[in-house]
Amino acid sequence: MAQAVIRRLWRGAVRFLASTALVTGLLAFVSLWSAVATFVPQGEASSPDVSAWAASNPTIEPFVRAVGLHQAFTSYLFLASVLVLGFSTALCAWRRTKVALNRARTLRTAATADRRTVCGTHDLEIAFDPALGGPQALTIAAETLGHLGIRAKRKDDVVAAVSSSLSVWGSPVFHWALVALMVVVLVGVLQRSDGLMALAVGQTRPDAAASYGVINTGIWHDWSGVHRSIRLDAFEPDFRLGGLDRGPTPTVSVLDGSGAVIKTQRVYPNMMLHAGSVSISSPACGFAVTIALVNAKGVEVGRLVQFVDFSQTATGGTVPVEPFTVSDSTGQVLLSGSVTVPLDRSGAGYGEWIPKVPTAHVVVTSPDGGQLVDSVVKPGESVMLPGGRQLRIIDVGWYARLAIVDDWTTPLLYAVMTIAMLGLAVTLLTRQQLLLATVIEGPDGSRLAVRMRLWRNTPTNRAEIASELARALSGDEKRSVS
Amino acid sequence: MTFEIVFMWVALTFYVAATVMFVFGVIFSRETLTRRAVYVSAAGLAPQLVALGVRWARLGHGPYVGYYEVANALTLCVVAFFVVAAWRNPRLDATGMGIMPVAVLLLGAAMFASKADFPITAALASYWLFIHVAFANLAFAAFAASFGFAIVYVVRQRSAGGKWAKRLEKMPPQDVVDDLTARFVLAGFLLWGIMIVTGAIWANESWGRYWSWDPIETWSLVVWLIYAIYLHLKYMRKWRGKRLAWFAIIAMPIALFCLVGIPTVFNTIHAGYIGGSEL
Repeated sequence: MAQAVIRRLWRGAVRFLASTALVTGLLAFVSLWSAVATFVPQGEASSPDVSAWAASNPTIEPFVRAVGLHQAFTSYLFLASVLVLGFSTALCAWRRTKVALNRARTLRTAATADRRTVCGTHDLEIAFDPALGGPQALTIAAETLGHLGIRAKRKDDVVAAVSSSLSVWGSPVFHWALVALMVVVLVGVLQRSDGLMALAVGQTRPDAAASYGVINTGIWHDWSGVHRSIRLDAFEPDFRLGGLDRGPTPTVSVLDGSGAVIKTQRVYPNMMLHAGSVSISSPACGFAVTIALVNAKGVEVGRLVQFVDFSQTATGGTVPVEPFTVSDSTGQVLLSGSVTVPLDRSGAGYGEWIPKVPTAHVVVTSPDGGQLVDSVVKPGESVMLPGGRQLRIIDVGWYARLAIVDDWTTPLLYAVMTIAMLGLAVTLLTRQQLLLATVIEGPDGSRLAVRMRLWRNTPTNRAEIASELARALSGDEKRSVS
Repeated sequence: MTFEIVFMWVALTFYVAATVMFVFGVIFSRETLTRRAVYVSAAGLAPQLVALGVRWARLGHGPYVGYYEVANALTLCVVAFFVVAAWRNPRLDATGMGIMPVAVLLLGAAMFASKADFPITAALASYWLFIHVAFANLAFAAFAASFGFAIVYVVRQRSAGGKWAKRLEKMPPQDVVDDLTARFVLAGFLLWGIMIVTGAIWANESWGRYWSWDPIETWSLVVWLIYAIYLHLKYMRKWRGKRLAWFAIIAMPIALFCLVGIPTVFNTIHAGYIGGSEL
């Protein structure tokens, strides 16, 4: 009893999920949702764009927020719709596979059909002029089909126009590829890591979560299996290739666990570094200022690299990525400070503002907020700190912010997308047809027996084929009882 | 530059003339006029090709950047697609009545837009650019063709044996026009799909992410899904006739909006190709 109920429920659920009404409804919903989402700023409620939009649209904001349109593509409503669409697509693909199997079997059988087979199973019988012989009737039939756009071959006593059994697989392959695409995307999201790592020239960092400034990691990502390092070998502020300015271009190396170089290359737009599952691009760059702390005896006691970003709004044209602090042995902060690199604004454009000899603008404050140092110094020069200590600028060089993605599903994704398009191309370009004709003798005289299955992409229809054959053979058409 | 522009105006003149000839040919049931309109459309392709070729040689890149170039390439594909279809099957001539106005509007708007020279930036310097844009153009041409067939279908259906049905009687039967619309939608669906796939691969190679829900990515998916709905309604729900034709008519402007409208409305990383901020 319970089993019957479960089975009935299961069948009902499957029927519901596979219904075209649901699929079209979901496609419509996902389309509409996505389109509307482009008109609404995306992000956290606290983000400036979202806050500004909320303030200027107080009437609809509560609704937009409630349904999750500010994070439209990660909202439960959207993800649930896509999930159900995925199940529907899988069921649809399964049904299409069953249909394709039947059709492929029919086409394979038809490809080897002889006169006896067609005599046994056919859909139409067309009487023809008794003056015509059987072979002549078959020739006329083949020509007539040719005029209708169906190229038929004559094989012994049979005229045949049978599609390849592979032609039926386009739609199932396309739908299965869509299902696979959803699965691969999901697996990709769960196992990938995607982050930003800042490296100064000459610096090497292990590919570990702690090395990244910003990192998004899927729950399946296994850092313990990652044994590699990333090194920034060189940096060219304006690399030119093929007569085109490729922009700021770092040269990046990927090293294995033993420190051996796996791959080295320049990284610029449209030229990512790929090494195994890792892809590296360089979306941003800035200055890297190396500073040494020197004690009262003139001995260097510490060294750090400060990253400085370009800024359209800052007075000097740059901003520090983060401030630095100087602490004593107990960890108490003695000083804090920041470094920027003033740009030379006499140049015509932003690209020409980079000074020939970069300097560092050092600002140091005491823990109570009092300003101790505010100086612009060249590499090799120092600024004096209280207690006889010095901050020495060792070098003003470059750093690159590398976007590093570790995702082994990317080639799979490409393959699945390609297969989907191939499936669709087969659906579009190939015909699915079966047309067999032969001459049978009966008590009323000779007749053309025709077996027809016109499933997809045929240039004509059953009625036209029947009427044209009947006209060409000058006979009457009669439905077969077979 | 002037040479290019003059040739482009010549092409536009041909397309306008062809449109007028199609309309008059259909209204006055003059089959020879609609046939000649196909020839005039084909003739317009020559100056447009010359103008685009000269521009290509001068700038060193194809018509990929800026509204002027993008709309030009779209127009070229739309007209070429239609001319080939009509050449192969003269019964389709009257479809020009629906397709050529799209070409005229696109190219006309391009002629009044900025014709500034946009260089190929480092972000665009990839062989994927050609592949991605080529499929976008071909897909739109297929959708424009389906739009033309759908217009003919609706006009004839509304007339129901009246004047317009008589004027368009040379066209294939309504069920064939219905199927042709779907065939071109399917062709466009495939080509648009390839455009999305090549765009995703290029984005991954260029930016390290294959999909970022950028407005133009989102809208290209929306267009694909809209045509997926059409195909489901046609082949699975067995919709036929006027409802489906109206669907194809409404869907095409959405595809056009996606290609040329989005970068002007939204802040998008694709803005560079239409002449906005650099990619």
